[in-house]
Amino acid sequence: MLPRPVNLPAMPRAALDRRDFLKLSAAAAASMAVLPNSATTPTVSTHPTADANERDLILYALDQVMAAGADYADVRISRHWSQGVGVREEKLIEASRSESYGIGVRALVGGSWGFSATRKMDRENVAAVAKEAAETAAANNKIVPGTVELAPVKSYPHAHWATPFEIDPESIPIEEKAELLFAASRAALRVPGVKFVSGRIGSAKERRLTATSDGSLIDQRYVRISPNLDITAIAADGRDFQSRGSCVEPSAMGWEYVLACDLPGNAARWAEEAVMKLGAKPVEPGVWDLVVHPSNLWLTIHENIGHPTELDRALGYEANYAGTSFVSPPETMIGKLRYGPEFMQIIGDRTQAGGCATTGWDDEGVPADEWHIIQDGVFVDYQTTREQAAWIAPLTGVHRSHGCAYGMDWKSMPFQRMPNVSLMPNPKDLSEDDVIAACDRGVYVEGRGSYSIDQQRYNFQFGGQVFWEIRNGKKVRPLRDVAYYGRTPEFWNSLALIGGEQTYFLGASSSDAKGQPVQLNAVSHGCPIALFRNVNILNTA
Amino acid sequence: MAADRKGLTRDDAQALCNRVLALSKADEARVNVSSGWRGYTRVATNRITSAGGSESVSVEITSVFGKRQASVSTTEIDDVSLEAAVRESERLAQLAPESPERMPELGAQQYGEVNAYYDSTGAMTTQARAEAAAAGIKNAQDAGLFVAAGYMDAIAGSDAVATSAGLFAWHPQTSVASTLTVRTPDNLSSGWAGDEANDWMQIESDRIAQTASAKAAAWRSATELDPGKYTCILEPTAVGMLMLRLAFDLNARPADEGRSYFGKPGGGNRIGEALFDSRVRLLSDPAWPDAETAPFTEEGQPVGRTVWVDKGALTNLAYSRYWADKQGRAPLAGPSNLILEGGSDSLESMIASTERGVLITRFWYIRGLNPRTIAYTGLTRDGTFLIENGKISRPVKNFRFNQSIADMLKNVEMIGSTTRVAAGEDSSAGMPIVVPALKIRDFGLASVSDAI
Repeated sequence: MLPRPVNLPAMPRAALDRRDFLKLSAAAAASMAVLPNSATTPTVSTHPTADANERDLILYALDQVMAAGADYADVRISRHWSQGVGVREEKLIEASRSESYGIGVRALVGGSWGFSATRKMDRENVAAVAKEAAETAAANNKIVPGTVELAPVKSYPHAHWATPFEIDPESIPIEEKAELLFAASRAALRVPGVKFVSGRIGSAKERRLTATSDGSLIDQRYVRISPNLDITAIAADGRDFQSRGSCVEPSAMGWEYVLACDLPGNAARWAEEAVMKLGAKPVEPGVWDLVVHPSNLWLTIHENIGHPTELDRALGYEANYAGTSFVSPPETMIGKLRYGPEFMQIIGDRTQAGGCATTGWDDEGVPADEWHIIQDGVFVDYQTTREQAAWIAPLTGVHRSHGCAYGMDWKSMPFQRMPNVSLMPNPKDLSEDDVIAACDRGVYVEGRGSYSIDQQRYNFQFGGQVFWEIRNGKKVRPLRDVAYYGRTPEFWNSLALIGGEQTYFLGASSSDAKGQPVQLNAVSHGCPIALFRNVNILNTA
Repeated sequence: MAADRKGLTRDDAQALCNRVLALSKADEARVNVSSGWRGYTRVATNRITSAGGSESVSVEITSVFGKRQASVSTTEIDDVSLEAAVRESERLAQLAPESPERMPELGAQQYGEVNAYYDSTGAMTTQARAEAAAAGIKNAQDAGLFVAAGYMDAIAGSDAVATSAGLFAWHPQTSVASTLTVRTPDNLSSGWAGDEANDWMQIESDRIAQTASAKAAAWRSATELDPGKYTCILEPTAVGMLMLRLAFDLNARPADEGRSYFGKPGGGNRIGEALFDSRVRLLSDPAWPDAETAPFTEEGQPVGRTVWVDKGALTNLAYSRYWADKQGRAPLAGPSNLILEGGSDSLESMIASTERGVLITRFWYIRGLNPRTIAYTGLTRDGTFLIENGKISRPVKNFRFNQSIADMLKNVEMIGSTTRVAAGEDSSAGMPIVVPALKIRDFGLASVSDAI
């Protein structure tokens, strides 16, 4: 088992109804207020509070873009702080931090959007980008006129939200982070056969002030942390090497998450897994049952379910890069497409504790939502923004946006991005052993490996980190060079059994790519362990 | 915002670097400054769905005390913010453990001449992009009420590096990419074409519009072909997407450490060994026409013309300054562009000489499969055709490939003439890749994809 972080409820969603959620957020905001970052970082002003100047500037930008002819506009001032500490064996190779600060204005004229951004935070430059955003939208609307109907939203003129966390990652000295990685590295290198270890702890904080022409002014702060180790073992004769990577997941939590992951305590086990693969039996390709550990399954959910249920993609808006979707057109899919067995429940949310896509409000001032994407195995709804919600409201009966608008920073125009998309566990609290016991002849796969899927999300091929052969309900021997492949609808309809709450695990990608210019999104996926029948297995060697 | 499209001038960049170095109290310091503008226009569903621009500057300060170092970057360049960033990098460097692999900052260097900045790209307006986009939409509609989705991306700016040891280097550059996907209204076909260049005048908008629509018309009603090993004709974009992956493997250290295809069992690397077809010649050159890149690395190390593979034999691998020092070699920067030299075969002659094979337009979702053989997986996309008896006989469904790039370069049958391609999957202007079309035998098409 990978470590289950402390403070991460087994069923995080259950812990968060709207009222508790806001209470939790308020408490976190208050704790940040009494422990300002300046206590530990005396020099650079990270995350200043939304001072009067910024409020003035953002409202000024909004006035300017509306005066320039926008039908609707939103403006973001954001500050991004990130820090990386990286080691290679017992050597420090990275100690870095970066900050980025600026303002971006998005304008809608008719059916066209325009965007402009600058780092120059004075009224003259801000007025210029506001005007440019509106003019760009107007110019494009003249060439190909259109209209956009935005889903209704209340105004939130004094909104605040912050990622709940216990220990600010910025407050941990760089040498403490390096020492933790050195300790993990030493533990891994003590395992015979292990020759190389690289480790990194990335921390990110963000402050985002959003103003919309619907009257919202929303001040939000985010914290995310990404620890990782990658361990390589070399065969005695030098003719082979095997690695164990993706040992832990990114999370929207503080330093407490890194402590819970216990890299030094787990490194030897991961190192032994790398060595084990050198001597493991090459997998015999063919059709096997497949037990997918949640540390691998989260990415399968991301690729097989998260991406095809993005509404912009389904309607051709991402055709030139990310692709379209087999879940299209909506009128033949909503309430009709059987995605998987009846016990399959897929929830989209931006509310889950620890979720990298969790927020208070999205970039269009829409409060965070949670909703069924797949209910009882049937596809019922897409991921939407305000522009998109109206397109399918007659089919879903849902008139609000699901709050999926996101631009990665002040330089980037918001568009539809993936929320947390999660598979709910079995109400019967089955353990991992219970699920393995239901498999006579199968392959067990753990950890995120190489992954690839076609541009409509049918044909996929996913690797992993650690593989076992299952015989008669037991893991009997390690395997190597395994990938599983198939066609998404058939694969999910072969889902036979899922584990209970005790196996629920939150995986995450901190760099999901979409859009042109490409923007990265951090997103989490929760899931239990799962058993699929008759899956194609490939030997990758 | 046009004034910012050149990024910082040489004088302004040098003045900024000097301001930072004057603030430094460290034993050694380096400043990297990146500045400029990006403008883009997106098309989908025959509309311009978004367009935008941004200008930015980023200053990164690396401070060094003995073997301790740390870097801090900021987008705020007022005096207070810059001084704060310098002090923070010094504070972190003093807290950080030693970096045993650290090499001293470089002094002044000599660089080759490169002209990578084109006003045609730097001065490009929103209106010009919108007009080019509208032409692509019109062409698709005229072709049969087809549906266009496209992207134009223009980047203009400068990079500079300076060190406390007296080095200063500055490089202005523009890059532009234009790509277009055209789908039939029934969503049963998709075609693609694209270009990438430093110079907007090199982008062939008419050819892109016509080719994307023609591919969409030709690929409609694709039927299934059994997976297997086929003779494949890879159009230049498809070749470029795979060569882009190879660029990152041309590194001595992982090879010497025994964790790369280019490593020798028992130690050392395979420089000097004949690895590929004897016609394969792979090089990089920052001054290559319309594939120009900076003649220096972020450390200020010179980047010149390097031949990586000549007559099919591995001739060079990149050596970082640390690894070169440890191995007693000269440091050698990795590729900042990649050129696979061309031959004299036309695409038509490749098709005409093929009894049975598959023609591939481009790839998608390329991911590593096996680093020991440089094997990758990925999918064909936007135009895949069966060739029988020297002619394109029918459109076929897309395939997933599982293929070693090393084996592919061994199995070269014919080589076309080179062209710069849009090799990045996201179609943003990126590392320049100049490649020919290739005819390859025994290319592994592993499974069928229903994606259109």
